[in-house]
Amino acid sequence: MEFHSILNSLTYLAPEITVSAALILVVLFDLILGKNKKALPVIALAGMVAASFFVFQQMTFNGFAFSKVSQPWINVGMITVDSFGAFFKSIVILATVLVIFFSFSSEEIKKSFDRLGEYYTLVLGMVLGMFLMISASDLLLVYLSLELVSLSSYVLAGFTKLRERSSEAALKYIIYGAVSSGLMLFGISILFGMTGSTNLYVINSLLQAPNINHLALAFAGILIFAGIGYKISAAPFHFWTPDVYEGAPITITAFLSVASKAAGFALLIRFVKITFISGVAPSGHWQMIPAFPWKEFLIVISILTMTLGNFSALWQTNLKRLLAYSSIAHAGYILMGIAVLSNQGLIAVLIYFGIYAFMNLGAFFIVMLIANKIGSEELEDYKGLGYTMPFLGVTFGMFLVSLIGLPPSAGFIGKLYLFIALVDAKMIVVAVIALLNTVVSLYYYIKVLREMFLAKPASPSTAFKLSPLSLILIIVMLAPVVIFGVYFNPIVEFAKGCVTILGL
Amino acid sequence: MNIYDIVFYLFAAITLVSAFFVVTTRNIVYSAFNLLFTFFGVAGLYVLLGADFVAVVQIMVYVGGILILILFGVMLTNKITNVQIKTGTLQVIPAVIGVLLLAGVLIFKVFLGTEWKSVKTDIPVKTTAFALGKLLITDYVLIFELLGILLLVVLIGAATIARREK
Repeated sequence: MEFHSILNSLTYLAPEITVSAALILVVLFDLILGKNKKALPVIALAGMVAASFFVFQQMTFNGFAFSKVSQPWINVGMITVDSFGAFFKSIVILATVLVIFFSFSSEEIKKSFDRLGEYYTLVLGMVLGMFLMISASDLLLVYLSLELVSLSSYVLAGFTKLRERSSEAALKYIIYGAVSSGLMLFGISILFGMTGSTNLYVINSLLQAPNINHLALAFAGILIFAGIGYKISAAPFHFWTPDVYEGAPITITAFLSVASKAAGFALLIRFVKITFISGVAPSGHWQMIPAFPWKEFLIVISILTMTLGNFSALWQTNLKRLLAYSSIAHAGYILMGIAVLSNQGLIAVLIYFGIYAFMNLGAFFIVMLIANKIGSEELEDYKGLGYTMPFLGVTFGMFLVSLIGLPPSAGFIGKLYLFIALVDAKMIVVAVIALLNTVVSLYYYIKVLREMFLAKPASPSTAFKLSPLSLILIIVMLAPVVIFGVYFNPIVEFAKGCVTILGL
Repeated sequence: MNIYDIVFYLFAAITLVSAFFVVTTRNIVYSAFNLLFTFFGVAGLYVLLGADFVAVVQIMVYVGGILILILFGVMLTNKITNVQIKTGTLQVIPAVIGVLLLAGVLIFKVFLGTEWKSVKTDIPVKTTAFALGKLLITDYVLIFELLGILLLVVLIGAATIARREK
């Protein structure tokens, strides 16, 4: 028996091992320290910083890990390490670090102080699951990591137990999650039955055969998409999103809307690109196996997702629900970038995601700070906030402008690259529909600004002092949103360097 | 039709009929008892497939663990037997058409029309537990370790939910 391959694989798994170690340390220190829980977030943060060091190493690092010991002639493994994965892992790390800092100032989390150990354990469990989702190239690992992420997030969504909405959110989340992971397993079983392998690369080479039943393959593809689509809240698997986002603690809502989506998108791109590709044209376009029309399928889903998201957002009066629908719409825009099925589309998706992470986390953070102060997320209570809390009002406005995608914010650059990719691929109609959607989204984002700046304050102004930590966090998230709007070369170059998906 | 076919159809019938009753009975205790036969039938199918270990685990975990847990849950919650479970049906005709269409496509186009990958083996005489164990610490060692962490996280999550909030 050769165990060298397993030992060698461990070096590729350094970020995941670091996160697991941090998880176990949090559990242990929670037991040892008892009532004093100040050290727990520090351990979690230290774990993330260490993991980010290993992830940056992986930026220039390609390879497979955990190939089969019993079948050494198959040189592909369960884990694929490449710069594409490293990009999404760094987004996850960024979101996690920011969310841990959010949790310092969140009133909701402070109230459940004695369960802080569980909170950080579950967050780290989610991070581990997301890391593995991002680099998984084996259906078994895909399913298991998806479950790890889902199971941790069910509990986190219902973490504040004293509020009824929170429990409702957790229950809805678990029911939708169970159904879609069941559908996904069914799809996986069909794919396995057709090819006899769970490795995506092996499946790809077997699917090149001419005598494949296209209908069965399409069936499997749609079912597996159901599982991933639920994670990225693509229509028609998005029904849980508004309820869960509204009921969950805001820190977790922010985390779900960025990190969990990043992992879902990474998995979707990797799954589509590895399993169904037959070659890459010199122009960067992916040539797909003709068995399943991924392009048309993704275009339909993306148009459906962004239109449903934007139009439902129009009637929302709760800020968390509004941002939930807006995040559904953004998932639609990103799906559109994937539907181009080319390296250029992939670059656009990476740029968009890099910017989306900052602006969405920023918007949620300010909603949280305001909720800490006034105890509400209803739009009605935002009347005149631009005068009572000028700093928060103005920064919130900037994040919203970026979410709309108006120049000179970074959101504009993200949308610009998506549209360029679409036009280059001669998908003009889709680009026009997306543009119209952006116009619709203008209405509900501006509605928030109107309430804040053009309505009279309902209550007399109360003094609001921003803690230094919150101020620093806002600046950290605002700076990229402003700077990348005018000086976007670094993020574009960074994204261009991260398109290597190991494979064809 | 040889003996294997007869046994297969027997187990399949047990599974299907009892599953039907699980869904349709209004009393949760009857549902739970019918679930026992469903799990048992599935375990039988596993045995026919030569997956003896999975079959034993199926009986141990599902029948021995989960089902007993459900029954205890029912017995300890005194009001639950009186709760009317909503098993009404809405939109019967569209549902029947939809299900029949989907089932037709699934059966005739997907399952009969696909060349499934199959491996010819004799019914194994020795148990599969040894080979499974070996695979779990070689080819699937990552999956095995990840399952450990998954169970830890789930355990902590369950404790968090179950804990009484002050």
